[in-house]
Amino acid sequence: MYIHQHTCISPQQTNGLIQLEEISISADGKLLAKEPVLEGVPPAMLRRMSKAVRMGIGTGLPLLKNNVADGIIIGTANGGMEDCIIFLNQIVDYEEGLLAPAAFVQSTPNAIAGQLSLITKNRGYNATHVHNGLAFENALLDAQMLISGHSHKSYLVGGVDEISSYNYNIDCLAGWYSKIKTNKHLYTDKTPATIAGEGAAMFIVNGSPVNALAQIKAVSLFHSTDPGTVVGRFKDFIAEWAPVADNTIFLSGENGDLRQTPLYESCEEVFGSAIPVARFKHVTGEYPTASSFALWLACYALKEQNLPPHFYKNEHNLSQVDRIIIYNQYQGMQHSFIFVTQ
Amino acid sequence: MEKDALKQQVKEQIVKFLNLNTVSPADIKDDEPLFGEGLGLDSIDSIELIVMLSREYGINIQDPKEGRKILTSINTMADYIEQHRTK
Amino acid sequence: MGRIVVTGIGIITAIGEVLSEHRTALMNGKSGIGKAHFLRSKYIEKQPLGEIKMATAALAEKLNVTNASATRTDLIAFYAVQQAIADACLSEAVLSDAATALVGASTVGGMCLTDEMYADANLPDQSASPYLQSYSNSANTLFLQQQLGIGGIVNTFNTACSSSANAIMYGARLIKNGLAKKVIAGGVDSLSKYTINGFNALMILSDKPCRPFDAGRKGLNLGEGAAFLVLEKEEDAAGKNIYAAVTGYGNSNDAFHASATSADGEGPFLCMQRALEVAGLKPGDIDFINAHGTATENNDETESVAMLRLFEKVPAFASTKSYTGHTLGAAGAVEAVYSILGLQNQEIYPSLNFEEPIASTMQVPVRKYKKTHLRHVMSNSFGFGGNCTSLVFSKI
Repeated sequence: MYIHQHTCISPQQTNGLIQLEEISISADGKLLAKEPVLEGVPPAMLRRMSKAVRMGIGTGLPLLKNNVADGIIIGTANGGMEDCIIFLNQIVDYEEGLLAPAAFVQSTPNAIAGQLSLITKNRGYNATHVHNGLAFENALLDAQMLISGHSHKSYLVGGVDEISSYNYNIDCLAGWYSKIKTNKHLYTDKTPATIAGEGAAMFIVNGSPVNALAQIKAVSLFHSTDPGTVVGRFKDFIAEWAPVADNTIFLSGENGDLRQTPLYESCEEVFGSAIPVARFKHVTGEYPTASSFALWLACYALKEQNLPPHFYKNEHNLSQVDRIIIYNQYQGMQHSFIFVTQ
Repeated sequence: MEKDALKQQVKEQIVKFLNLNTVSPADIKDDEPLFGEGLGLDSIDSIELIVMLSREYGINIQDPKEGRKILTSINTMADYIEQHRTK
Repeated sequence: MGRIVVTGIGIITAIGEVLSEHRTALMNGKSGIGKAHFLRSKYIEKQPLGEIKMATAALAEKLNVTNASATRTDLIAFYAVQQAIADACLSEAVLSDAATALVGASTVGGMCLTDEMYADANLPDQSASPYLQSYSNSANTLFLQQQLGIGGIVNTFNTACSSSANAIMYGARLIKNGLAKKVIAGGVDSLSKYTINGFNALMILSDKPCRPFDAGRKGLNLGEGAAFLVLEKEEDAAGKNIYAAVTGYGNSNDAFHASATSADGEGPFLCMQRALEVAGLKPGDIDFINAHGTATENNDETESVAMLRLFEKVPAFASTKSYTGHTLGAAGAVEAVYSILGLQNQEIYPSLNFEEPIASTMQVPVRKYKKTHLRHVMSNSFGFGGNCTSLVFSKI
């Protein structure tokens, strides 16, 4: 499966003119996405959109304008959650009385894929995967299966999640987020918990290598809380797909949560000391579909043949980037490997 | 309440309740259709406005089809509110 | 490659707790819609509902689940999944194999606990409730994954009311593409204040038992349920009881409105057409359609229009939502099971409460139970956001 175009909305300058040398600093333990002005969206629709939907439209619509897509496939763990809470608050505040329905309709996570299809009149395949930290990976698998044997078909694939006050409060209470941690010292401040983030990254994929930006060679996903199983699966993945480690970056989802760092480190050690390790959660914060940003960053690294120094964990003498292996995990339970090449 | 003041109030309530960021109350004409052409509202808005009439004026409309007639324009809404308001 | 077949079924709805009870109710036209006893909502006095006849605590006890954070949604999903796994004789070793996948679906996930959610959301300093992590869309699939130790791909769909039809389609495609050898696929939703208030706000709930495809239909009744299928390749299923083959699936977006279908039924038309294409069938090969048939004014008319467009002669059709209510995220899987039951037993279950056809389309659903010859059955599911899915099941 080949990536032909992409867009990204993130807490950094990644939409339009890309600038990753200097990065925005988190505040109150959050990195908030920079939203562009949306063009081509009917005002009547815009007024009902939550930030997740706006980010999804802001990344998806420009790609759908330039490409005829055979379908729209979105991964989002919490898309629509903010509207869920607006409606839920009405239920309680008005004691199940007469309620305004717009938030209920918008609360369905497939509002992003649905509205993209509505605006562009796309009557193709339409799917929304919501499997938390593996929602985006399942969207990729979905596209990969659709393209397999139908290489001329193109799909829009993306990952979107916002920091809603609701999931943020709950994830804070559960100990996943810290309000005092910052992205400046994310990896050195060795405490449990990380910082929250949000964003959207979308891709046009098809089976044609002509003029492609990158190839997604393999996607693997599974659940486990056992570090041994994770490393075992990683070794199998490397052996099957990426036995050569030359000109390769290991892009790690390390997020500064000391409970999860050993998982990432034991996968790094699989390569010995031979491989440059890059990290990205200090620019995005943590969110369930952060791996969609990682894939976007992998495409960026392949194009630029490098990454700005702040991404690297170790010293390296990389002069050429041919391959990127992404490992990301969510809440110590959901793991994925993505292998991207030129 | 004067009819014109009522109309102005309804316009302001519509803009606020439906979150019409790009519309100012003055943009809404008294006789222009609220749905389809004109302001471009849809079926979900019509139910939202029925809820607004209930919360703001104590008017209870059971049948959405009947509601749609009342919600034709600012004029029809103001007429109905004048005759049926309970608060 | 051989066909993808169904070797296990698990289902629980208002009309039964085991598969045979569902068939008995369907054969006898016995609806499960009525006054709810376990849901806490002021609407239980006004709205008939398709409630599972078991309290949440009783479900937990029966399943031997002591985990305090397990919601009703988690429990009914687990109830159905356990049946499906036992039916298909999947061992623990098979479940933990990297080639065994689980694909779930739900529309509201953990939102069934509306009041607890409200407290959690608005009182961030309150001590953590046991339901803290239950809110997410994927909560019930994650619960099942943990209970079963699934080793392969795990996913959750949420495309509103077509969610579990899409889960079954995704499951079949995982096998077809060699990404899994065995797939447990289905969906779940429990009754909740959240959905009752939502559909009530949209003014599409009927205060009488619903009347799919009737001219006087007043809206839908909500129900709850869970249904899961075990799918595998025919050649891997030697010696097992095979219910039916999954031969077709199609999805499209209606691209018309967030919560209503277009007047020409373009989305439903396209998904039915695509399902036929995948199955390699002509419209005339379909012997029966388990319609989406929610009994809302919009759905039944537009679905009829789409059927009239695709089929020269519209096949026999019915809506089993008149038995279970609309089980939302579970509906696609529940109705897949009823389609398979009909195929397996070569019989058609009637639609209830129908009197007079819709004037513009004049389509009459099946009104009496009958034995008949069925080769291919289609099951339709359409959801908010314009999402439309059709599945085709074929006789073995």
